[in-house]
Amino acid sequence: MSREYAVNALPAGVGLRLPHLAEVAAGASSAAWLEAHPENFLANPHARELLLRVRHHHPVALHTVGVSVGTATGLDRAHLARLRTLVDELDPFLVSGHLAWSTYDGVYLNDLLPIPYDDDAMRIVATNVHEVQDLLRRCYVVENPASYVAFSTSTRAETDFLAELASRTGCKLLCDVSNAYLSAANLGYDAYEYINGLPADAVAELHLGGFTREADDAGAPVLIDTHSAAIDEVVWELYAHALRRFGPQPTLIEWDNALPTFAQLLSEAHHADFVAHATFEGAPRARAG
Amino acid sequence: MPALVDLQGSFARAMISGDGAAVGSHLRGGRDPGQRLAIHLRHYATSLADALCDKFPASAWLIGADTMREAAGAYARLHPPRQPCIAEYGRDFPQFLAGHPRAAQLPYVRSFAELEWAVAQASIAVDAPPLSWTELAACGAERLIESRLALQPGVHYVRADWCIDELMQTYLSGVAPERFVLVDAATRIEVRGTSGTLKFVRLDAGTFAFRTTLAAGRTVGEAAGAALTLEQGFDPGSALRALVDAELVTAGATGTQESLR
Repeated sequence: MSREYAVNALPAGVGLRLPHLAEVAAGASSAAWLEAHPENFLANPHARELLLRVRHHHPVALHTVGVSVGTATGLDRAHLARLRTLVDELDPFLVSGHLAWSTYDGVYLNDLLPIPYDDDAMRIVATNVHEVQDLLRRCYVVENPASYVAFSTSTRAETDFLAELASRTGCKLLCDVSNAYLSAANLGYDAYEYINGLPADAVAELHLGGFTREADDAGAPVLIDTHSAAIDEVVWELYAHALRRFGPQPTLIEWDNALPTFAQLLSEAHHADFVAHATFEGAPRARAG
Repeated sequence: MPALVDLQGSFARAMISGDGAAVGSHLRGGRDPGQRLAIHLRHYATSLADALCDKFPASAWLIGADTMREAAGAYARLHPPRQPCIAEYGRDFPQFLAGHPRAAQLPYVRSFAELEWAVAQASIAVDAPPLSWTELAACGAERLIESRLALQPGVHYVRADWCIDELMQTYLSGVAPERFVLVDAATRIEVRGTSGTLKFVRLDAGTFAFRTTLAAGRTVGEAAGAALTLEQGFDPGSALRALVDAELVTAGATGTQESLR
């Protein structure tokens, strides 16, 4: 396992956000790879020009936030066509999105909203994932959501839904370790069992992001997926478990709000590499410098 | 158990209205699932208001942050986005803002916000290869009159009854003057940006009519006619030459759809 990791696995990458784009495009970054949200670039030709420049120096993945594979009113084909053009230009090593919906009948709700895990949703999501893969002409990678609520009408566990989706469509899975921890805490199940429940052979990427501890309007504690903080220590522990379960996978540090310097993001990525090294080589776990 | 399409319809209406009563009964999570749903409802309202406030900082500077936030929140409820690229959201917000009760006393708000939208669009544009005068002239004068020209994507036109370009440049300078007089005079502004650079040019009535008519997809002859209606001495040939020399024309097609390049 350690030899495979040393030869084949990319070190951890970081999410590329617009405030860091000029710095990275100028060639000042030592990031192993970068992941961009295409929706930030499709309507911004100057940023797109810089992203293409970045692509000359770094492997790039695309992580969509507006594809909405969970929508019951049909995918936005105009958006997918624009996405396809960007994918063709960039040739990212991976294109991913969320097990969620954000569009309804042409309206975009600017959020990643939950779906019930039942037969109706499986039929719709599988059809949509097939369509995305056909249009993009590549495998799509579907991420487990960060959840605050679930549907009482669900007939499957989320892990079973994702496994069936991967089996039906050939899509891969992105395990957001922070989302797994956050959803488990918010909905009252075990995050380690959740990781164990995902089909290991389908997992193609891992995400790590910061969350905040808040109280909902009823005063109950809730973890919010703000991507505005460093990775929590409990998530680093769960990440080590995920690595043991899934093997080495491209791992991404996500940070969207209260954005720190790019150097701080790289520091988080280096710590992810340290955790991976400690997990596979058996070195003692301690925070990397 | 409602079908997914019906469930999502109820959910979408809850998001836009901020009232989750119709959805809460299908959910579980926390002591009160309805309160957990409120996390999503709040996110819709705040994220879109944030996006609009980020997109119109100069207008917020002009009318006050509280008024801007209130107007942005109301706009998000009445005009939900119809595209996943939030950078494209808010094109008609200037018109909405002008109708806000607290902005109604400022008759230049709409055109100022329209200028701000144009500035934002121009600042992220990238130039297309310009068409040369040789390429354009090769088709002959008669066919040129019936031709339609495409202008650079980073070129935008704003007409106002106030000298809002001076006000915008004051905002962009980041220096607050001790006194600023906003003159009420017809102002025709060309905003041009490419790869992060930006400039304003004030145009005379004829040139503005000529260029905006072309930008609207009309023929060179129609653009010349629009300009001559306003200025009898307008010289369409010189106007076209100036447009090409400024590298603003990127493509063209004759009346028979033959490309000029």
